[in-house]
Amino acid sequence: MSLFATRGLTVRFGGLTAVDHVDVTVDEGETLGLIGPNGSGKTTFFNAVTGLVPAEGEMLFRGGALRGLEPHVICQRGIARTFQLSRLCLGLSVFDNVLIGMHTQVQAGVWDALFRRERVVSEVRHALKQAAHLLSLFNAALVDRGFDPVGVLPQIDRRRVEICRALAARPRLLLLDEPSAGMSPEETVELMKDLQIVREEMPGLSIIIIEHDMFVIEGVSQRVVAFNYGRKIAEGVSQRVVAFNYGRKIAEGIFAEVARNEEVREAYLGRQEAARA
Amino acid sequence: MTLIGVWVVELGLFVLVVAALLAERPIALGATVAAIGIVAVVARSSARVWRWVTTSFLTHRTGALAGAAVLALVLPFFLRASPYWTFIATMALMYVTIGQGLNFQMGTAGVINLAGAAFAGLGGYTVGLLTVRLGFPPWLGLLIGPLIAVAVGALLFIPILKVRGHYLALVTIAFGFIFNILMNNLEFTGGPQGIKNIPTLRLFGYAFTTPPQLLGMTLPSHANFYYAALVMAALVTWLAWRLYNSWVGLTLNTLRDDEIAAKCSGVSVARYKLLAFSIGNFFIGLGGAFYAVMVGFVSPPDFDFGYSLVMVSVIILGGLDSIPGIILGACLLIPLPERFRFLHEYRLLLYGAAIVLMLLFRPRGLWPATVRRYGLREPAASFGAAGGLR
Amino acid sequence: MPPLEVILQQAFNGLMLGVMYALIAVGFTLFFGVLDVIHFSHGDIFTLGAFAGLSLTFLWAAVGIGNPAVALLLTFLGALVLTGLIGVVAERACVKPLAKAPPLMTLLATLSLGLVIREAVLIFYPRGADPKPFPAMLPGGLFEIGGVVIRYENLAILAIGGAAMVLVDLIINRTRIGASMRAVAQDAEAAQMMGVNLDRTVDFTFFLGSALAAVAGILNGLYYSEIHFIMGIMGGVIGFSAAAIGGLGNVYGAILGGLLFGVLQTLAAAFIPRGSEFRDVVAFAVVMVFMVFKPTGILGEKTVERV
Repeated sequence: MSLFATRGLTVRFGGLTAVDHVDVTVDEGETLGLIGPNGSGKTTFFNAVTGLVPAEGEMLFRGGALRGLEPHVICQRGIARTFQLSRLCLGLSVFDNVLIGMHTQVQAGVWDALFRRERVVSEVRHALKQAAHLLSLFNAALVDRGFDPVGVLPQIDRRRVEICRALAARPRLLLLDEPSAGMSPEETVELMKDLQIVREEMPGLSIIIIEHDMFVIEGVSQRVVAFNYGRKIAEGVSQRVVAFNYGRKIAEGIFAEVARNEEVREAYLGRQEAARA
Repeated sequence: MTLIGVWVVELGLFVLVVAALLAERPIALGATVAAIGIVAVVARSSARVWRWVTTSFLTHRTGALAGAAVLALVLPFFLRASPYWTFIATMALMYVTIGQGLNFQMGTAGVINLAGAAFAGLGGYTVGLLTVRLGFPPWLGLLIGPLIAVAVGALLFIPILKVRGHYLALVTIAFGFIFNILMNNLEFTGGPQGIKNIPTLRLFGYAFTTPPQLLGMTLPSHANFYYAALVMAALVTWLAWRLYNSWVGLTLNTLRDDEIAAKCSGVSVARYKLLAFSIGNFFIGLGGAFYAVMVGFVSPPDFDFGYSLVMVSVIILGGLDSIPGIILGACLLIPLPERFRFLHEYRLLLYGAAIVLMLLFRPRGLWPATVRRYGLREPAASFGAAGGLR
Repeated sequence: MPPLEVILQQAFNGLMLGVMYALIAVGFTLFFGVLDVIHFSHGDIFTLGAFAGLSLTFLWAAVGIGNPAVALLLTFLGALVLTGLIGVVAERACVKPLAKAPPLMTLLATLSLGLVIREAVLIFYPRGADPKPFPAMLPGGLFEIGGVVIRYENLAILAIGGAAMVLVDLIINRTRIGASMRAVAQDAEAAQMMGVNLDRTVDFTFFLGSALAAVAGILNGLYYSEIHFIMGIMGGVIGFSAAAIGGLGNVYGAILGGLLFGVLQTLAAAFIPRGSEFRDVVAFAVVMVFMVFKPTGILGEKTVERV
């Protein structure tokens, strides 16, 4: 049985159908790539899964239904995500930004904070060690800067912190929304290494990754789904990719398979370019 | 040795401030103010001096706090000739209490509250009603007042969850106005006259109107309230510090900066916003209840919109989300216009101008918030190379 | 159920108030449109407009302009320009520099600027703490229609307020600068790329909105026959409420919201027990309920936050 599955997932904004009857499944430990042009509904798909926008259709995660749950409950169930436009708290420290990811595991409450501080302190110490461990997976220098505001870090380190925040929630399913956005080609290469580290360190973790950069998709995902107009237009197995276009999944399959798919090429390159290529 | 240095600095500042407060002739006032100014300029312009001050205060935090506590305790002895200044010092401490509450809402959690005066008023009126109309002892009023502020604050729960930004500002302003209009026009709250003759605080048979005899000296009766306010402000600040340096502070900061990121990290935004709002109202209500007990009456103009703005000024001047900043803000903003009586007429004008200038040129306040250290002193690196996640 | 003519009479009175509120509300909505800010000192700009008008009436009397119609016209024109310019100064000093800061900063800065303006009027206007009598400059007399008493004075207020609104509508929809305002409201960046001078457009918007507040201020003086330095607090809160009820960013919404607020207030004053004391409680309670259940207002559009 798959870890996560959507059946007929649909998101409508007024008259616009951003995600149109999309079926996607992810197995345990699998990395699924989502590709598709701008506006094809990939991010909206993530927003629907994390409960940020209302959706129709079915979403199953570890045998339970997700639809209608609030975002923080969905996080508690084991789905964490990053955002295309970084959503770190730039004024807070690197450690703080990772520690908030552990929110669902925190035992100490307000009462402990006020009157049983030793509980808070021991928990925080433990959490700081975990945060340091996560950060050092990507860049050991980040640990030394743990109490610096995140805003002073370069883009790539911010992205790493954001991934650490998501990992700190100990998710079963990780949603990465275009991690290479805003990165230089060199940084993108580094980021790919980081993602491979995540893969190796956490073999049981399932990942869905949105990427524009085909190189990243090819490098990290086992399967690709292509979207167009909110539909899945293609899908490829083993190195699976799902392609989206305008809210629809247009393809799914092994990366090479999806990349060859007529509709995917058209969605990406435009009709004439596709014919020429 | 640096600890001695820290104490000397504190003592020096204390002497200057007391001298400035008590200086009677303009020339003496001018000299002390000039001295404070020179000290401040020297400390800030010389990087070496400033670094010495900050590092030694940080390394000897406990010692510095103890020194400050001693000075705060002996202040009434120096002010004993002037009940008025003892009263102003007490007011400043009351604003520390209120400021910590308001800061917890606006600074830490980003929940806008422009009805601070109304929540203080709820605390104050509760004391007035309970003691004068129902004959409760004032100390019980002091306990119940803040709870009523929290309970009535629940009326705003739905707006706080559903409305944000400017709209929330509008809702809270409207709430403040409604409170004021009701207090002005309801019979049982005494209308425009308010509630007079609130009995004074008595603890274990000791009435707060008796001038205390301490260390062979007679202090003005206001010193009783000064010490009570000191305990209150210290307690509230201590609690605020604990909340800030815990998961609660972290969670509230995150939802202030990015609600969506907080939600997707598993934070129940609703629960934490209401929590922050209620805790803040408790502190604000406590300050208001204390005010009622201290001055012995409450009336609508004591809790009008202007005072909400004064409260906001305190936290902006000091530094949003900065717990020591709030203390600094209150201790500057409340006594200054009293000291310079010729400025008294211009008090609110100057508050307003100060806030505008602060926001334009120093938006993080005089004592900006620093990164949360959870009260831990270890360097960041010491948390590395330890137990794994799984 | 009170008789119909009583209701109509109250509704008419409410309309008078509503016109003034609407004029203030239009300013709020215009500022929000071009800069996405709430200019909280706008209420005190309204006070300034009233005081500018009052001072000018003295000036005209001193220089011997006896004709009331001429004096009235000059009062309006002078106060409009003066207040408009002050509005631009306020924007340059307090709003524009903080346009990129978190909205809380603009909110607090303009609130504080309002405090400064209010206190400045109190301190620097001669005997500023007292309510100032405002001279009657509108024709007296009244007539009755279907049991409803209508004063010429009130008709004049309605006419002046209505004319100001029509004028604003024309400026926004029929002039170049109006087109720039609409473009900036849609998308400031795109407008700039199309050659719109952003600074000038924003300045003009604040001039226009503040001038409207001056009209409201003078009408307020004419209606109540007195003005007071404190009137800007209520004026501002009601103006913002009206703009919010109507839907921020929408000029017609602001007008509608202003009229609704005025009528609501008068009806509450007339028909609930001790209404004159509690009318604002009712009005503000309605505002709070509105903000909770329809925060985008009657004519506002829904805003979606991008993730």
